[in-house]
Amino acid sequence: MSEMTLHPAPRWRDVLVEQVRIVGLSLRPVLLVVIVVLAAFTFLIARDLLSGGEGFDSSGMFPTPLISFLFPFAIWLHEKPFGSSFLWIFPVERRRLALAKVFAGFVWLALALALFTAWLLALGALAGVGPAGTIMRIPYIGTIATYLFGSALLLGLRHPLKWVFGTAGLLLLVGGVSQALEHSYGMNTLLGSSRLFFATERLHSAWGSLPGPGQWILGTFLSLGAGLAALLAAASRHRERRRR
Amino acid sequence: MNGLPESFAVTTRGLSMRYGEQTALDGVDLRIPEGAVYVLIGANGAGKSTAMKVLLNLERPDAGRVEVFGLDTASHGPEVRAQAGYIPESHEHDYKWMTCGRLIRHAAVHYPAWDHAYAEQLVRVFGVHPERRIGTLSKGETRRVQFVLALAHRPPLLLLDEPTDGLDPMARNRALTQLAEHLADTPTTVLISTHHIHEVESLADHVGMLSAGRLVAQLSRDEMRRTVLRYRVEVPEGWQPPGELRIASTRRSPGGREVQWTLVGEERDVTARLHAAGATVREVTPLALEEAALAFLGEEETA
Repeated sequence: MSEMTLHPAPRWRDVLVEQVRIVGLSLRPVLLVVIVVLAAFTFLIARDLLSGGEGFDSSGMFPTPLISFLFPFAIWLHEKPFGSSFLWIFPVERRRLALAKVFAGFVWLALALALFTAWLLALGALAGVGPAGTIMRIPYIGTIATYLFGSALLLGLRHPLKWVFGTAGLLLLVGGVSQALEHSYGMNTLLGSSRLFFATERLHSAWGSLPGPGQWILGTFLSLGAGLAALLAAASRHRERRRR
Repeated sequence: MNGLPESFAVTTRGLSMRYGEQTALDGVDLRIPEGAVYVLIGANGAGKSTAMKVLLNLERPDAGRVEVFGLDTASHGPEVRAQAGYIPESHEHDYKWMTCGRLIRHAAVHYPAWDHAYAEQLVRVFGVHPERRIGTLSKGETRRVQFVLALAHRPPLLLLDEPTDGLDPMARNRALTQLAEHLADTPTTVLISTHHIHEVESLADHVGMLSAGRLVAQLSRDEMRRTVLRYRVEVPEGWQPPGELRIASTRRSPGGREVQWTLVGEERDVTARLHAAGATVREVTPLALEEAALAFLGEEETA
């Protein structure tokens, strides 16, 4: 080799900041949809309040975990984690770049959650519902955990949507079959779809009435830890460096 | 390899790769000297694009090693890619929603060596409109953006996969002129894969020929000019060529007494063998790069 100066790789911080920027820009159409939906809800709630109604039902939880589970699919809409995407041409280790994108998505998810909370608080104030009645209805930890699981699925599987819909379809099928055969064969007992449902209900109520911060911290640690572990395991499929 | 310098920008050893049943690369030993313009020639599916992807660690070979400027790509993929400007074969772009200007700024972040003034110059030369969305560009326009992205950080290695594909004649001329100017200004090793060999004839100084994943020949331009020649030969009735001659292609006159051959080997040796076999050499002419390459690949396919 003759003497020559090699070009440096980019700084990690620059890559991270750029990913936050670029993911934000790519999510503009999603943001537009969210604004339209929230505006529609605001209008409906305001109209209900003005006509003497309660404004909104304050009993259930918001389905933010489901939305955050699907959020990674919007973030990776323009790239193929397992294909030859433009992204991979850059001089950044693939696994790190994938994680940078997940982090960028998390930043925008956190911002969206904060704005959603602010919107909810404003509506709650308008409807005369206190902050406890509104903020407590957003499962923050669950939302972050499902985002991590969604990202893990997307990075770990070549065809994540097939797996998601396949699994959901299979569960529905098993549930349906067990319902249909419950009386004659006792399949319900065997497969336990209803029992599973009741067990989930019991678990849900148990989690919902956690008595102290210690258990809350434990639950947070477990769900986020599991999500993070799944994400790191999935991202390792994109590991680039191989030892000879 | 005879006549090649010792210092190589790219070396591969026993590079092999399969896509299922399909062999993409079969024991390829590339040697690309530093500062060379190396033209990789081969039919569609010969493995040219795969070879480039493997050099950048975008594809993992089943066997073999790759070194780029002394860096093993398997363990230093990002460092290798920092040295490379790459124009992929595909015109499709992931970021259809992005404007050209934003895409260029996005790429610039990833290359600390990005020359912003040069990038602006390239944008002007290639007639790129920064405000246009990538998704609205034609094949040729996308190619021009890809040229800007590949050249603007003045990489020590350029990997150009069918770079003029999709460009109109004016844009093609502009691109090749710009490439020649770039090479004059910036010390660069270039690997070009192309079907339009005549376009890069003036730039090329090394040639490699891939056939069905195998590197069937790799030689310098001078070597090729010296050893791949066309012979016009007069032969007696019923004459058969000596078996040891490397015949790349044959054309026989209507009477059958005069034969035009493209033969591989030192002119003196080939002429001596033909004389010894009873043929009379009437004329020996050098070949253009494209003719020589076609003759080589034809020979390989015949074999």
